[in-house]
Amino acid sequence: MSMLQQYGVLFGLIIGAFGFVVCLFVITRISGRIRQEPGKDVPATAGQLSRDPVWVRYHARYYGYALLFLAFDMEMAYMYPWAVVYKEVGIVALLDMGVFLLILFLGLLYGWSQGALRRQ
Amino acid sequence: MTTLLVLLLLAMGVYCVAVLEAWITSGRFRLMAPACSAIALLGRESVVPRKPDLLFFEMAPIVLLVAALLAAAVIPLSPDLIITDLATGALFLNAALAYVLVALIMAGWGPNGAYAMIGGWRFLGQLVAYAMLIVMPITAVAMRAESLATTDIVISQSGLWNVFYQPLGFVLFFLAAMGLAFLPPFDLPIAKGELASGVEAEYSGVRLAVFRLGRMVLIVTLAAATVTFYLGGWQGPSLPPWLWSAIKILLVTAAMLLVGRYVPRIREAHLLAWCWKFGIPLALLNIFIVGILLVVIP
Repeated sequence: MSMLQQYGVLFGLIIGAFGFVVCLFVITRISGRIRQEPGKDVPATAGQLSRDPVWVRYHARYYGYALLFLAFDMEMAYMYPWAVVYKEVGIVALLDMGVFLLILFLGLLYGWSQGALRRQ
Repeated sequence: MTTLLVLLLLAMGVYCVAVLEAWITSGRFRLMAPACSAIALLGRESVVPRKPDLLFFEMAPIVLLVAALLAAAVIPLSPDLIITDLATGALFLNAALAYVLVALIMAGWGPNGAYAMIGGWRFLGQLVAYAMLIVMPITAVAMRAESLATTDIVISQSGLWNVFYQPLGFVLFFLAAMGLAFLPPFDLPIAKGELASGVEAEYSGVRLAVFRLGRMVLIVTLAAATVTFYLGGWQGPSLPPWLWSAIKILLVTAAMLLVGRYVPRIREAHLLAWCWKFGIPLALLNIFIVGILLVVIP
């Protein structure tokens, strides 16, 4: 299969999954409908509407980790091509990436020492 | 044709895993249980909570299912039983699995319910914890295989399985995969008994059925990924390749479910701290060790 065909198959998979779910919805729609009763559509908060609105700003207490995560995630984007050619290039590749990773790892240690690895 | 065959095998795997999960969590072995509960779920009302974000609410289960299916598409069950043998298979797997987070955030935000919302945001924290432990061990695997294609990765293990070559990476990947599939010790977004099912709380009927199906496919896919990257994929003596894949995948799933049965749920703060203070240094060490091994023993 050519590259384009492969992505075509993947696209077909998405459409197929979507169609499957739509079929399920149609089957259940045919077999019965929702009886509208008061209070049925209240979200699961002990049987009554929550006192405060739900769509509010949520304090992401892991933001220290999240910032470090960004740095590491970017680094991983470089590591995949490096990993593929690693054996060819040999020990030089290890040293190159080692220096890069060492700097990043020192950053992690520094963040740790400054209390970034803590639920804020 | 291959696609249909793989999807059929995947469906059978999902059914087996559903039976297995019911057996491990309830202690009763019933072959018909998943079929009965599927029919029951389809027969029930699927209530939409008041004032939802309808697009997010309706799409979340579908996105979960699609993400799991796309990830499954690059997993080889035997040399030719693979839906798409992409040259960037391992990377594609990561990209597809990233949408699990999107699905859960949508499922958390959509229904406008407090528990679901907390569950969704919690899973974002969980992603920050496990994501590096998925990608870093895969890097070490790709270093050995000199390729990102999943079939090449399996072939690279014909001498020695990666589970013996890089045991550290296997342990990290196994645990991170459980975190990604939110299986019991890491089931923070669902957290029955604490969050009242979290992101699943507002789903009922057919929507819940699709959500659960998506999660089951996800579990099977992650077990299959573990087998592909670390347990030699389809390789094994005498039996046909696809049967070896099936046996290994079921064993890995059983191991994942069993761990969840005997370990209490971990707190989000602890999960984050352990993953970043121990997991990531160990994952980097794993890459370093594999790098040395590859240079020393060609």
